[in-house]
Amino acid sequence: MLDYAEPVTKLIDEFKRLPGVGHKSAQRLAFYLLKATPEEADRLIEAIREVKEKITFCSICNNLTDVDPCRYCDNPTRDHTMICVVEEPYNLVAIEKTREYHGLYHVLHGALSPIRGIGPDELKIRSLIERLRPQDDAPEVEEVILATNPNTEGEATANYLSRLLKPLGVRVTRIGMGLPVGSDLEYADEVTMHKALTNRHVM
Amino acid sequence: MYLSHLEAIHFRNLSGAIDFSPGLNVIHGANAQGKTNWLEAVYLLGTTKSFKTAHPREAIQHQAEEAILRGTVISGHLSRDIQLLLTRTSKQTFVNGKREVITRYLGILDAIAFTADEMEVVRGGPDNRRRFVDRGLVSTLPSYLGTLAEYNRVLKQKNSLLRSASDADDPTRFFPMLEPWNDQLVALGSEIHVARVGYVEKLKAALQPQLFQNESITVRYKSSLEGKGDLGDYPKLMRERLEHHLKNEIAIGYALVGPHRDDVEILCDGYDISRFGSSGQQRSALLILDLAQMVIYHQILEDYPVFIVDDIDAELDRNRIEILLDTLEGSSQVFISTSKRAIAQHYRERAQTIEIANGKVAAKVITN
Ligand SMILES: [Zn+2]
Repeated sequence: MLDYAEPVTKLIDEFKRLPGVGHKSAQRLAFYLLKATPEEADRLIEAIREVKEKITFCSICNNLTDVDPCRYCDNPTRDHTMICVVEEPYNLVAIEKTREYHGLYHVLHGALSPIRGIGPDELKIRSLIERLRPQDDAPEVEEVILATNPNTEGEATANYLSRLLKPLGVRVTRIGMGLPVGSDLEYADEVTMHKALTNRHVM
Repeated sequence: MYLSHLEAIHFRNLSGAIDFSPGLNVIHGANAQGKTNWLEAVYLLGTTKSFKTAHPREAIQHQAEEAILRGTVISGHLSRDIQLLLTRTSKQTFVNGKREVITRYLGILDAIAFTADEMEVVRGGPDNRRRFVDRGLVSTLPSYLGTLAEYNRVLKQKNSLLRSASDADDPTRFFPMLEPWNDQLVALGSEIHVARVGYVEKLKAALQPQLFQNESITVRYKSSLEGKGDLGDYPKLMRERLEHHLKNEIAIGYALVGPHRDDVEILCDGYDISRFGSSGQQRSALLILDLAQMVIYHQILEDYPVFIVDDIDAELDRNRIEILLDTLEGSSQVFISTSKRAIAQHYRERAQTIEIANGKVAAKVITN
């Protein structure tokens, strides 16, 4: 027998699929919604629907966006000779917060991890190499900053990319490791992130 | 440092609390009453690891959700309350009532345990000896724990990649994918190599080679790269060996090169004790190593970890017990357990003896 009526169990199960949500939190969220007004519930449903309908990935940098190309790629005032490579869209947000970086981005959507079956083909690496090819209408990319996480997988990814990109004649740099080893850029504050960017070194 | 008070809640068959002496504590009682469980509790509270099981959650009483070990540790003038909370899915550490990360918790109560399982160090495979050295390093150089964890994580990733490569039709396409992991293995592996060699040198210098017998005990770090080139330039040598074994590693599907293949030779009059030593010689050697580890600890931290010997009369004869306790007297807090009332009686003069029945203190004799 189920602990709760079927629709409630179903909702709890759906919440449990979300990252970082365990059984207790899922239960708490479900009961919050059970008590919420229909308007509150509709707002949440609408927000989920909207994000799924309107948000896509930028065809150039793979960042989340509601217009394609995204606002960074499409902005002529940004420095188009620099590309900062990050693992996830939220890493990009952390770098934007410093207000120090005015170049472009490239989102890999992950890092190399053989244990999880993630190899180079599973990451947005081919489209990065495409961007480094000289194009008629765009300035040539001069520097690629590797801002993957300072943990085992992020290091391996940066190392792999640098071996791949250097022969293409581009300057490849790695963000400074003032960050604690094994950490995630998601939790780096603006000051730390700023230091990591200014202390970048040539690989 | 010493543990002055320990309380156990929903932990195995234990109940209540015990106040310990800063010197020798003899825990005795009939079998299956809980003597070993109290010693396990001391070790687990200090190290968050059990010497009885790889899964401390097994120690939670069946009807309970969680088990708690709570202790008071005195070092110099400082008294700290530490607590380990075990649930079915987690271990949580507290200092003075506040949640504390494990890296800052470890080291408040360090412990060395001489147990039947620990004997694997002198008679088992190389992994046991590497762990012995790594434990000693972690307690004196906390950052080493991070290096070791990183190395193992990189190794796991590389092994996973090697498994895929060995199943693939065209392994050569894996060469560039292996390089980033090998680079990290070389950097971290070199750190581990240097740290371990240094520690084993210190162990060797701190040994009392003939403490228990006429035969002389000594140790030597035996790198798996020995005889393959210049160990003085370990990063260069390791890189050479990785290149040399690239195809072999892919064929076999796991990593063949690095300090995870090293060993520590323990020699008794020049012979490898794990192969040629009698069980008496092996016991003596392990005690000598444990005591040397205490000396190093003291050299660096100016303090002594607590020393635990479970089921002392099953592991050691009277003569060795006497020598061991004489050596430890005045330095380390010691916990020993025995099922023999006569042994407990024998140490009444110099120890606090605690009789355990049904998991709790049945009788206690305090001397001094
Ligand atoms: Zn874009």
